[in-house]
Amino acid sequence: MVDSYRPKDLKDALSIRAEYNPQPLAGGTDLMVRYQSWSGTLPLFTKSVMFVGHLKEMKYIKKEAKDKTVTLVIGGTATLTDVANHPDTPVVLKEAVLSIAAPALRNNATLTGNICNASPAGDSICALYALDAVIVIEKSGSRREVPITEFITGPGRTILGPDELVTAIKIPLKASSVNDFTKVGTRRANALSKLSFTGVADYKNGRIDSIALTFGAVGPTVVRSVELEKKLIGLSGPELKAMIPKVIDDYSTVIVPIDDQRSTAVYRKKVALNLLEKYLKELSSHE
Amino acid sequence: MVGAIHELPIKGWIDTKGVKMGARISIPVRRIDAKEKAGGWTKYIGDYQFKNLQHGRFLRSERARAKIIEIKKPDFPEGYYYIDASDIPSSGKNNIQMIKDDWRVFAVSDVKYIGETIAVILGPDKQKVLDLLNRIEVIYEDLVPAFTFDDALSCKGGAVYGDNNIFSEYLLNVGNVDNAFKDAVKIVEGKYETGFQEHLYMETQGLVGAWEDEKITIYASSQCPFYIRKSVAVTLGVPVEDIRVRQTTTGGAFGGKEHFPDVIATPLAVAVNKVKKPVAMIYDRIEDISFTSKRHPSKITIKTGLDKSNNIIAMDIDTLVNGGAYESSTTIVLQRAILHGIGVYNIPNARIRGRAVATNTFPSDAYRGFGAPQGLFAIEMHMSHVADELGLDSSDFRRKHFIKTNDITITNAKMHDDVKLPEMFEKIDEMSDYSSKVKEFANDPVKGIGIAFVNHGGGFTGNGEQAIIKGVVKMKRLEGGKAGLYVSVVEMGQGLQTTMRKIAAKELGLDYEDIVYDNPDTDIVPDSGPTCASRSIMVVGFLVQECAKKLKAKWNEGVGVEAEDVYKHPDGLVWEQETLQGDAYPSYGWGINVIEVEFDPVTYEVKTTGIWAVWDIGVAIDETIMQGQSSGGVIQALGYASIEKCELKNGTFMQHTMADYTIPTSLDFPKVETCFIDNPYKYGPSGAKGAGELVFDAAPPAYAEAVQNAIGKRIYDIPVTPEMIMEALK
Amino acid sequence: MKEIKFILNGKEVSVKADPLKRLLDVLREDEKMTGVKEGCGEGECGACAVLKDGVLVNSCMIPLGAAEGSEIVTPEGIRETDKGKCIIDAFGDAGAVQCGFCTPGMMMATEALLTINNKPDESEIREALSGNLCRCTGYDLIVKGVQIASERGKDLW
Ligand SMILES: Cc1cc2nc3c(=O)[nH]c(=O)nc-3n(C[C@H](O)[C@H](O)[C@H](O)COP(=O)(O)OP(=O)(O)OC[C@H]3O[C@@H](n4cnc5c(N)ncnc54)[C@H](O)[C@@H]3O)c2cc1C
Ligand code: FES
Ligand code: FES
Repeated sequence: MVDSYRPKDLKDALSIRAEYNPQPLAGGTDLMVRYQSWSGTLPLFTKSVMFVGHLKEMKYIKKEAKDKTVTLVIGGTATLTDVANHPDTPVVLKEAVLSIAAPALRNNATLTGNICNASPAGDSICALYALDAVIVIEKSGSRREVPITEFITGPGRTILGPDELVTAIKIPLKASSVNDFTKVGTRRANALSKLSFTGVADYKNGRIDSIALTFGAVGPTVVRSVELEKKLIGLSGPELKAMIPKVIDDYSTVIVPIDDQRSTAVYRKKVALNLLEKYLKELSSHE
Repeated sequence: MVGAIHELPIKGWIDTKGVKMGARISIPVRRIDAKEKAGGWTKYIGDYQFKNLQHGRFLRSERARAKIIEIKKPDFPEGYYYIDASDIPSSGKNNIQMIKDDWRVFAVSDVKYIGETIAVILGPDKQKVLDLLNRIEVIYEDLVPAFTFDDALSCKGGAVYGDNNIFSEYLLNVGNVDNAFKDAVKIVEGKYETGFQEHLYMETQGLVGAWEDEKITIYASSQCPFYIRKSVAVTLGVPVEDIRVRQTTTGGAFGGKEHFPDVIATPLAVAVNKVKKPVAMIYDRIEDISFTSKRHPSKITIKTGLDKSNNIIAMDIDTLVNGGAYESSTTIVLQRAILHGIGVYNIPNARIRGRAVATNTFPSDAYRGFGAPQGLFAIEMHMSHVADELGLDSSDFRRKHFIKTNDITITNAKMHDDVKLPEMFEKIDEMSDYSSKVKEFANDPVKGIGIAFVNHGGGFTGNGEQAIIKGVVKMKRLEGGKAGLYVSVVEMGQGLQTTMRKIAAKELGLDYEDIVYDNPDTDIVPDSGPTCASRSIMVVGFLVQECAKKLKAKWNEGVGVEAEDVYKHPDGLVWEQETLQGDAYPSYGWGINVIEVEFDPVTYEVKTTGIWAVWDIGVAIDETIMQGQSSGGVIQALGYASIEKCELKNGTFMQHTMADYTIPTSLDFPKVETCFIDNPYKYGPSGAKGAGELVFDAAPPAYAEAVQNAIGKRIYDIPVTPEMIMEALK
Repeated sequence: MKEIKFILNGKEVSVKADPLKRLLDVLREDEKMTGVKEGCGEGECGACAVLKDGVLVNSCMIPLGAAEGSEIVTPEGIRETDKGKCIIDAFGDAGAVQCGFCTPGMMMATEALLTINNKPDESEIREALSGNLCRCTGYDLIVKGVQIASERGKDLW
């Protein structure tokens, strides 16, 4: 049996976190499964727990404009349903979130939880990598902002300190005309990912102005290669089209999946590259 | 005579409260149990409150094949028990009396599969039971396990069973196969494999054993209360009357609660016998997926010889099923697999060799269809492959070979059924537009359509109903113009509480709600046999109908008057059990499914875009209930054919959570368009035949054929996963 | 052990239990609300579905402490309301109920769906039920049950 805490507000939560380092529990949809024990017995948590899902201060989604950039700020306890329903949620994130589980689960699970769980198969993460999401981390008296690519360090691992909480996720809202999120799951709905793919890109004056390509569940963390993306910036549609085989080749060296109970490495790799190819073809026909 | 074709009242809804029977029996009524179940009033095994309830959990083998060297136990606090084979009374035995009794109640000195019961740990507090269990250490000496068909046949690590790992072997033969092959101008061969399938009833396995009135009462989520009674009595070495089994409302079973509850009930009874307190053994989901029986995997090779006119003149089939570590019902499953081995075809010269093998895997057991789905998958795919090889239309080719009334079957008997497959084909063709879609999709890069034709023998194989079961039913006139119905077959979702009432009410001229039919209690009801083999309506329902007639004749004798009816095999049927010769089943249900799919060349995923089913089940006792059986059976079968992957790795199932063992959701498949044709059977109530398993049989091959046509590559195995399709397209 | 209060089917209850105890177990064991079923204990099946502050959730995923102060509605809390009766009758007439183990959860999912969309089409119904697994029916007649409930219950939701 472990202790549990129910802070009355965020401030309280941060001080409890600093004092006792309990594990935050938001929707519980990862933790209750991870520590599941014999039905009818208590979950086998290994350290104390702090409930955070009820903290109202973090249950918001809002737009912030600063200089010329508009940012969507998703509070630390916003649920997946909140994110899916918000009109300003970028389409790839919306699709990613809606691909997670089923309504009852999304009503309870938080976006923060999906990120902090840091599963390579976390569906929102695949989209958030492509959207350059930034994680807002707080502890009593201080606050830092870290790009998601730095926040997640490995399967199930993040840089979160034992006294810190994630209080928000920031997503810069950028123009993006060709968007794709595709999840290949173990069945058509309510399924865990075999792999996922996100592509977002925009043209300016007939040339690719921005592009992000990410792959979920094909490596220890979401795969994104800014280096390979850079090679595509500035290309016109026809130029891109001519380069597709080369791009696929390049990506085939960075995608190194594994076999598990849900799929095989060969399949994951092949389909990831197929999805990339499909997206790039689609992209090359736009301008 | 072409049977009347009834479309189901799919569009409108029924408003049948208080419908009197007497009209056409198929007209739907509201299920008697619907309201109580929907509102959550109905109690399942986990919902009952027992005073002083103890919780039991199994100590299980962690090795597939090993000697037990030592079991190190912590001290057990007062009120906590470790129960093992040494607690079986001297009059009893450490065997579970199922069809065979080789499965042990508790493993002693060695283990044969991962998950085998070694002991029961029990006590009042679940957490303490778990802590004790975790502190027990079993020291093993590993032996070399056998998992695959090849392992079994080569007796890897020494035989698991007998001296050759063959639980049973049969050879069926009709005509002269060797001679016929000599005349063949073309020979086509194929090898077909099917995998494990988990039942995944929504209510997990659960039993509570109690010490009541100086005897053991088992409350069980079960298909077969009398099976449990028998196995517990044998284990404890007491007369069956000393054991009482009460079925509790069962949240799905599909064969998984036919024999398997005996595997829980026997150690549970040993425990209750010792502690004289109520003990619950209720599995949670992970335990249920990891440690219960699955459908038998199969490997079937078929060789077909054809003459100049593309007629099949010879067929040679080799069937293997994997029974796992203990035989239990495997031999009967094998029988059904081979008795359905040539499907719905008239093959003049055919031979089937069937073997059931032993391995160190979790023992396989009953699952809706009981071997027939495996046999039918192989033959249907093979017929499709032969047609393809000959450049013929797959359905034309199969239709040309349809068995007809009075043709000779694989067991050298006449087909007695009035076979209506041609009319059924016309119907499904009209519903699904099959024939024109076949042409339309021939050159379509992503679309495909498939068809399968099946039959399913109702009731026990051969004369089993007469020789083994001898079912009895009883009825009684009760107060207030009601009648009591006493049978041992159970409601498990298939609608028996309603359909049995309809059958009885129709004869008695009562309202179906005036028939009293409680969950069976072995102290009250006679043994009408188990709830399995698609026998409940056809066999027991007929007894109920006949019994109701008798009661009706005596009705005026007043309240309390009783009637009884005992099974009598239909006249003129012959059967030789040793050689499996004669009339294999009293009658068959028949079915055709058409399935349409679209495949995604980017992800290799398959989307099912249309499902059609036409069934001949004699007469539907209730069209809505049968619609539910059709949709439910077909979707469960499509799961088997597509997403229900259950792989064994080193003797453990890799998929052991519901997240990894995926069954269809509401979004995986579209609606099943269903139609029934009437074809009344003389010895079924109002003409009804078996239906519950038939509805599972056709979808897997129809789906696989549809995918095959979509991707342009032959399919030999199920489940057809996207991974497999990718490999096929390489 | 802590004393935790929440509102259950409209009445405040106070439960003395470990805050990490699953709400599912609290409802079934402490409150005897056995209409809430356990099908998986891992969030997959929806048999344990309840409403929490008006939205559908799986009670096996929620520790009691996370439900403190919230309003929980179980099948027992809606089966005797007009909406509950409408759904139950519709399920009965559609033939949506077979073994029945999934059905109370299906009723909760239907109530949750009709609350936000009282005229769902077939695909919206299938989407709304996608977290409620049923092994018996193949879903067709459950979908039909929801359609009937939505037609008959026009004025209820
Ligand atoms: C049936 C089922 C299906 C699922 N399907 C999918 C799927 O398809 N795709 C997918 O990606 N995931 C899926 N999941 C996983 C899960 O639902 C998601 O990861 C979910 O978003 C987690 O959110 P939560 O609020 O429930 O997290 P919790 O379980 O509460 O927490 C998850 C992790 O986040 C940490 N955490 C939570 N809040 C904070 C905070 N504010 N600050 C710091 N750390 C915090 C916790 O300590 C924990 O490590 C599924 C889970 C289940 C049970
Ligand atoms: S028991 Fe909660 S979702 Fe299955
Ligand atoms: S009715 Fe049995 S699981 Fe749905």
